[in-house]
Amino acid sequence: MRSIDVAGTALSNTLRSKLRTFLTVVAIVIGAFTLTLTSGLGAGVNQYVTKMVSGFGDSNQLYVMSASPVAGAPTGDGPVEYDPETSGGGASMMGASTLSDEDIETIASIDGITDVEPVVFVNASYLEAPDGDQYAVDSLGMPSEAAAVELAAGELPAPDTAEITVPESWVEALGAGSADDAVGLDVRVGIANAVGEMEEFAATVSGVSLQAVSGAGGAPMPSQSLNDDLYEYQNSGLAVDRPESYIQAVADVEDLAADGERIKQELTEHQMLGLTLEDQLGAIQGVINAVTWVLNGFALIALLAASFGIVNTLLMSVQERTREIGLMKALGMSGGRVFGLFSSEAVMIGLMGSVIGIGLGVATGVVGNQLLVTGPLKDVAGLSLYAVDPLGLLLIALLILAIAFLAGTLPALRAAKKDPIEALRYE
Amino acid sequence: MSTPVLETENLVKIYGRGPSRFDALKGLTLEIHRGESVAIVGKSGSGKSTLMHLLALLDAPTAGVVALDGRPVSQLKPAAVSDLRNEAFGFVFQQFFLNAQQSVLENVTLPLKIAGVPRSERRRRGLDVLRQLEMDSKAENKANDLSGGQKQRVCIARALINDPSVIFADEPTGNLDSATSRVVEDILFGLHRERGITLVIVTHDDDLAARCQRRLSMQDGRIVNDDAATLHAAAAPAAAVAPHPARHTPSSPATGRHAAVPFPAEPPAPEAPPLSRRERRRLEAEADRRRSGARGEAERA
Ligand SMILES: Nc1ncnc2c1ncn2[C@@H]1O[C@H](COP(=O)(O)OP(=O)(O)O)[C@@H](O)[C@H]1O
Ligand SMILES: [Mg+2]
Repeated sequence: MRSIDVAGTALSNTLRSKLRTFLTVVAIVIGAFTLTLTSGLGAGVNQYVTKMVSGFGDSNQLYVMSASPVAGAPTGDGPVEYDPETSGGGASMMGASTLSDEDIETIASIDGITDVEPVVFVNASYLEAPDGDQYAVDSLGMPSEAAAVELAAGELPAPDTAEITVPESWVEALGAGSADDAVGLDVRVGIANAVGEMEEFAATVSGVSLQAVSGAGGAPMPSQSLNDDLYEYQNSGLAVDRPESYIQAVADVEDLAADGERIKQELTEHQMLGLTLEDQLGAIQGVINAVTWVLNGFALIALLAASFGIVNTLLMSVQERTREIGLMKALGMSGGRVFGLFSSEAVMIGLMGSVIGIGLGVATGVVGNQLLVTGPLKDVAGLSLYAVDPLGLLLIALLILAIAFLAGTLPALRAAKKDPIEALRYE
Repeated sequence: MSTPVLETENLVKIYGRGPSRFDALKGLTLEIHRGESVAIVGKSGSGKSTLMHLLALLDAPTAGVVALDGRPVSQLKPAAVSDLRNEAFGFVFQQFFLNAQQSVLENVTLPLKIAGVPRSERRRRGLDVLRQLEMDSKAENKANDLSGGQKQRVCIARALINDPSVIFADEPTGNLDSATSRVVEDILFGLHRERGITLVIVTHDDDLAARCQRRLSMQDGRIVNDDAATLHAAAAPAAAVAPHPARHTPSSPATGRHAAVPFPAEPPAPEAPPLSRRERRRLEAEADRRRSGARGEAERA
C-alpha cells in the first residue's frame, strides 16, 4: 500500500463515524488550544521583558554596584568593624552602599573595560511651563535609560543639547493640545543646590514619552549634557567638595562574551558586583518561564487525558472493523501495514486536533492580546501578553502528533495481530 | 509433467491442545495442477475450510508442507506470504465481505491498493474487470445497494483484479438462490475455461461439485476419495492434460489480453532447500515470468 493511499484510507476511516471522531478531536483541540495559549503567553511576556530590559542599555555593558557591607545595616552577623579604607569614601544612599570616585577609577583600570559612566540622580524641584505655571518634579529620568523610553511624539533629547522629554500625561498641563504640539515647547527646570539656592535651566521639549512598566518615560528626562549641568549645580554651593558617591556605574566592556566572567571576578575582589543585562534579564525570565511551565503542565495533562480518548476510539474502531481488517489481511496486507494504517488514523486525529486547536489558540491569543493592550492595559507602553512563536507552534504540533501516534500503538497492534480466518469466520 | 501449482505433503492441522485438542487435518498429501478445477466436498466439520485456508496460505499447518509452484512456503516471512497471496490468489467467500460504505469500484480494487498500484491504474483495471462481469454500470454505486447476486459478482471481480493463478472459493453460492447461483457458477467456470485460472471450490452443493473436473471428498480430516488421483496414477504424464477439455480457445472478446494456457511448459523446479532471501526473490520473479510467459504462449498459439 502506498503512503498516499494509507493516508487517504486513514482519513476516510476517521470520517466514517463522524460524531465519535469529532468528540475525540475536541479533547485534543482543548489540549492543543491551552498549550498554544500558555506557551504564547510565556513568549509574549518574555518578549516584553526583553524589550523593556534591553532598553536599559547596550548588551555589552556591565552594571556595577558596590558589594561592600553597609555600616549599620542589619546583616544578621553582628556589627561590621569600621574600616576607613572601604567605608570612608562611600556614603550610604537609601540603605545601599555606594561607589566612590576611587571605585570608578578601579573599574576603569580593569582590563577589557573601555569606559565607565557613574549613574547619578538629579532631583529637580519643578518644571515651568511656557505660561509660567510650575509643576513639581520628583526625580528626573536618567539619560542612560533613554533607549528604554518609548515615544508618543518627537525624538529623544540629543546628548549635547539642552533638550528634555516629558511624559504624555504632562502634555495638557504644559498647555499643548496634543503630544505633537508639545514638541518644541520651551520649558525651564528649577533645581536647588546643596544649600537650597534655586536656579532655573532652560530646555526645549524634544519629545513626549510613554510610561513603561519599568518606570522609564514616566518622568521628564533631560539630555546628557543638561543632566550634567543640573547635577553639577545640585552638588555646588558648599565651601568644601563633598566626596562623590554613586549608586551604580555603567561600564562598557570591549568583549563581554569573552571577558565578562573574568571582569566580574575582578570586581568581586574589589568588593563590587557586576551584572550584565542578561543577568538581570535572566532573573526575571526565570520566574516567567517557571510560571509558563506550570501552565504548560496543565495543558499537557489535558493532552494526556485526550490521548486516552484516542486509544478508546480506535479500540472501538478496531473491534467494529474486525471483518474489514481480516479481509485486508486475507487479500495480502501485512500486519505491519495494518499497524501503519491504524496508527495513521491516530495521527490523523492528532493532526485535526492540533491544527484546529493551535489555530484557535493563536487566534484567541492574538485577538485577546489586542483587546487587552488597546483596552484596559493601554497605558502600559510596549506591552505584549501573547506572541506567536512559529517554532514553538511547530513543536506543539509535533508533540501532539507524537502523543497521538503513541496512543494509537495499542489499538494498531491489536488490529495488526488479527487473524484473518478468525476475522472472516461465519457460521 | 508440470510442477503442480499447489501441493501438500503430510499436511496436519491440530486445533487446541490437551483435552480440547482437535485434529482437523490428519496428514493430507495432494497436488493441484495449473488450470484444474477442484471441488472439495464433505460433511460439515470434515475439514474442508481448514484445508482451503492452508492451501491459500491464510494459515500455517501444524506439520507438513504446502508448496506453491514447487516451493515450500513455510520458511517465508509473514510479509512475504502476504505478498504472495496478494499476487497469486483470488478469494470468493460465502459471505461477501464488501465494505458497505465504499463504492463498488473501491471494493473491487482493494487488492491493487494493497499491492501499491497507483490510483489511475487501479481505476482502469477495476473498470476493465467490472466490464467483464457486466457490472461497470454499478461502479460508483455503494456496495450496500446491490442485490446478492450482484454482490457476489463484485466479489468475483475483486478476486480477479490481480490476475490470479488460483481462485479459492469457500461456499461461493451458499448464500444465493439457485438461479443466481447458476449465474455465478457460469462466471467462475467461464474464467476457468477461458483463462486457465485454477479453481479450488469448497462446497456442499453437488451440482456445483459436479461441474468441477476433480472432486476431493473429505471425512474427519482425511481425503477419502480423489477421482483425479486415480486418474493421474493410471495415466501417462501427457494424459494429465486429458481430463481437461480443449482450452486453447483464442482470447474471448470480453477478456482481450487474457488467454487460456492451462499447462505452460515449465522446467521442473529443482529440489527446494530452505529458502534464502535471494531464492525468495527468485520465486517472486518466477511468478512474474509465469504470467508474462503464459501471455506469450497465448500469442504463439
Ligand atoms: N480455530 C479453531 N479452533 C478449534 N477448532 C476449530 C477451529 N477451526 C475449525 N475447527 C474445527 O475443525 C473442524 C473442521 O473445520 P472446518 O474446516 O471449518 O470444517 P468444514 O469447513 O468442513 O465444515 C471442525 O470440527 C471445527 O470445529
Ligand atoms: Mg467450512
